[in-house]
Amino acid sequence: MSRRVAVTGVGQSKQAKRREVSIGAMVREAVTEAMADAELTFADIDAVVLSKTPDLFDGVMNPELYLADAMGAVGLPVTRVFTGGSVGGHAAIFGAHLVQAGLAERVLVVAYSKESEGNFTWALSRGLPFSAPLGAGAGGHFAPVIREYIRRSGAPEHIGWQVAVNHRLNAVRNPYAHVHRPDITVEEVRDSRMLWDPIRYLESCPSSDGSCAIVVTGEEHAGHTPRPSAWIHGMAWRTETGHFAGRDEVNPVAGQQCAADAYRQAGIDDPAAQVDVAELYIPYSWYEPIWLENIGLAEVGGGWKLVEDGRTMFDGALPVNPSGGVLSGNPTGATGLLRFAEAALQVRGLAGEHQVDARRAIGHAMGGASQFHALWVVGSEKPEAAW
Amino acid sequence: MRDVAVVSFAQSPCQAANRRDDMADILLPVIREAVYAAGIGRDDVDFVVSGSHDFYEGRTFSYIESLDAVGAWPPISESHVESDAAWALAEAWSWLQLGEGDIALVYGIGRGSLPADLDQVVPAQLDPYFLAPLAPHRDAIAGLQAHAAIEAGLTSEQGMAEVVVRCLDAATGNPLAQRSGQVDVARLLDAPYVSSPLREHDVAPIGDAAAVVVLAADDAARRLAERPAWVRGLDHRMDTHYPGVRDLTTSPSTRRAVGRAAELAGFTTSDVDIAELHTEYSHQEAILTNALELNGAVVNPSGGPLAGRPVTATGLIRIGEAARQIRDGNADRALAHATSGQALQQNLVCLLEGDG
Amino acid sequence: MTEPITTMPSPFRMDYTYVAGTGRSVFLRGLAERRLMARCCAGCEQVYLPPPEFCSRCLRELEPPFELDGRGVVSTFCVVSFPFPGQRIDPPYVVAHIQPHGAGTRLMHLVREVEPEDVHIGMAVEPVWVSDDELDTSLLSIRHFRPVHYGGADA
Repeated sequence: MSRRVAVTGVGQSKQAKRREVSIGAMVREAVTEAMADAELTFADIDAVVLSKTPDLFDGVMNPELYLADAMGAVGLPVTRVFTGGSVGGHAAIFGAHLVQAGLAERVLVVAYSKESEGNFTWALSRGLPFSAPLGAGAGGHFAPVIREYIRRSGAPEHIGWQVAVNHRLNAVRNPYAHVHRPDITVEEVRDSRMLWDPIRYLESCPSSDGSCAIVVTGEEHAGHTPRPSAWIHGMAWRTETGHFAGRDEVNPVAGQQCAADAYRQAGIDDPAAQVDVAELYIPYSWYEPIWLENIGLAEVGGGWKLVEDGRTMFDGALPVNPSGGVLSGNPTGATGLLRFAEAALQVRGLAGEHQVDARRAIGHAMGGASQFHALWVVGSEKPEAAW
Repeated sequence: MRDVAVVSFAQSPCQAANRRDDMADILLPVIREAVYAAGIGRDDVDFVVSGSHDFYEGRTFSYIESLDAVGAWPPISESHVESDAAWALAEAWSWLQLGEGDIALVYGIGRGSLPADLDQVVPAQLDPYFLAPLAPHRDAIAGLQAHAAIEAGLTSEQGMAEVVVRCLDAATGNPLAQRSGQVDVARLLDAPYVSSPLREHDVAPIGDAAAVVVLAADDAARRLAERPAWVRGLDHRMDTHYPGVRDLTTSPSTRRAVGRAAELAGFTTSDVDIAELHTEYSHQEAILTNALELNGAVVNPSGGPLAGRPVTATGLIRIGEAARQIRDGNADRALAHATSGQALQQNLVCLLEGDG
Repeated sequence: MTEPITTMPSPFRMDYTYVAGTGRSVFLRGLAERRLMARCCAGCEQVYLPPPEFCSRCLRELEPPFELDGRGVVSTFCVVSFPFPGQRIDPPYVVAHIQPHGAGTRLMHLVREVEPEDVHIGMAVEPVWVSDDELDTSLLSIRHFRPVHYGGADA
């Protein structure tokens, strides 16, 4: 039943506060671009998967209903996936599963967020019932984990600043990125406002509007366009319960197992050596070393040394987030799919100014309190066998 | 295609308002019951997928709490749809086709009682620019549809009341129904309108419940169930959003979905013994019966949603109930239908069959 | 009419009834009496605080509730250093994961009565309860945690 699956179309909107377009029009920007890239019309699409973070963020319940027309989804199966911030990755994988299982030939995966239209503060400040309103804020859940990582690894504090600079400089090469700061320096990050100590302002992601879409197809339908395909070599998702004794949020087991499963499918036994580029879900700069270790691209405790040595910079041996990543644009519902899509662009050789030398790339997404993990490995060459 | 079957189904009682249990507390006993009935342990489950919606729960990322009832440790392969859990079952069925595992656990949680006033919530499901600001009453668009259905001669207020009488009578045999009993048509027709031509009885009573279905493939299904309810065909389709440009008396997406499901199944709906339809309003039975071309099938032997509608669990319960009829030997072939959105915008059809 | 309409207000108001559940209710009622009620799983011997009704690893009902004194250590923390909507106190302030002695889970709460720069991982802390008239079925019955000043050394 299983067969080879490829990404043949990628589209995205400009990430920014997009007050000049409606939700539908912004979603359509990415869809149109992906369809044009794949050289398909809506009649060629068999199913649509929509990725979106909480509907309360922008006030539209079940947006797949309102967006049916904008996504070209009338008459098609539409599945609305939601698993926290990793949702874009889950949606891409589910779309690929439909093709792999032979239930669809071509699937359009769509993702967006337009939080500038909702009262984001209201949605978040409602808080959880029965929890104390401590005023921790969004970063208040990640900052203590980062502090624990720094304590364990003994990493120097400038690592976080350096990652922030690397990603922002990468973003200058990406016209879709929200944040463009070509003159950013380590000193500027160091001197930026402390938000959630140890997280500074310039070490944090923005809130963006934006959309992303990809087309995944079966092997028989790849190669129809002059542009190369990105072949899926492995993909996996894992979830772990949020709060129980002994859970390690710094190096969550679900993330380790998720990556290991995808590598196994891809025939990768030394990911650090066999992967050329990674698009990782890094909303705060310290998550670069944290995820590098978690998904086996660095030894535990050694992720920060890759940053220190410049290996994860644009010109390094293992560039991380050449697109600029989440630190340079964060439309939450689309953020995960953007990582998966950017990985595909890299191995297709279509990443434009932020293209690096890549035959094999990782797309990665994470959600909740590091409970939800999704990862795929894509390559420029067809995998040897369908797994 | 791999053969995939429903091997067990459990649900909690539909309650107008469950004020005792939180999300995980509602779910855990139902998961236990379904897993126990299948004779498996938690570790035997290869994939978990669920359906629920934050707008009913009143907070963001609400479904995360339900994972505590699944026992996501060690880590599990898991996904979630932010809609009716029937779509979660569709995802599980797709996943089992991959051949990476044999057993999937599907659950749905629907708690319609938490919003203080559904009139505040339901309009958010509409186009945020053109329709939501009109803030239609929760049953207003259904009222338009019912009126159109009557005008088209598909049903009548009398006919709608007869559907309700039949469903509530059937529900007397369903201990988990929220509403049941013997009522007479004339008395129902004496009641005032809530959204003309809909009366209170025409509107499926919203409440709280959880439902769990265990799916298994091939030999695992044969091992776990004496008479598995094989999912022979499954498909779902979407109509355009705008009620103003749709012919509300037809359901093209249902028609498309059943066409594809029948193609996969190798039998048609005229061969179906029973059908469980996700009728949120009594008049929708006529629209759906037409679109599905049902011919002689017993409709909603469980009482259907008119006897209890736990929002995002309702569609999954239809599949569970249809499967139950097969597993109990009451039917050889069954159809289950689920819907999402206003006036039947999105529809799912599942065709099930027992071993000859 | 050439000016485009760029924004339109569409206010929603949604009110909800939240259900605490039986497990959480025991914990919340305890808070109103200055008691931290924990429960243990007989399967994996983990102690939950706050306790749900059942163990999320073993899926079995937890044992009857018992009281913990709330003393514990800071397992990690951050310093909230800037103002944003929803705050009850002026920054900077410390939000910490606290590992209460005898519990396997961590509580998130404020650490005060100490300068933020003096807070460290491993610091011994204890709860400071609100006055009788402010006690409620809420974690806000604990005003904050503070360093243990007497007798106890850092863990």
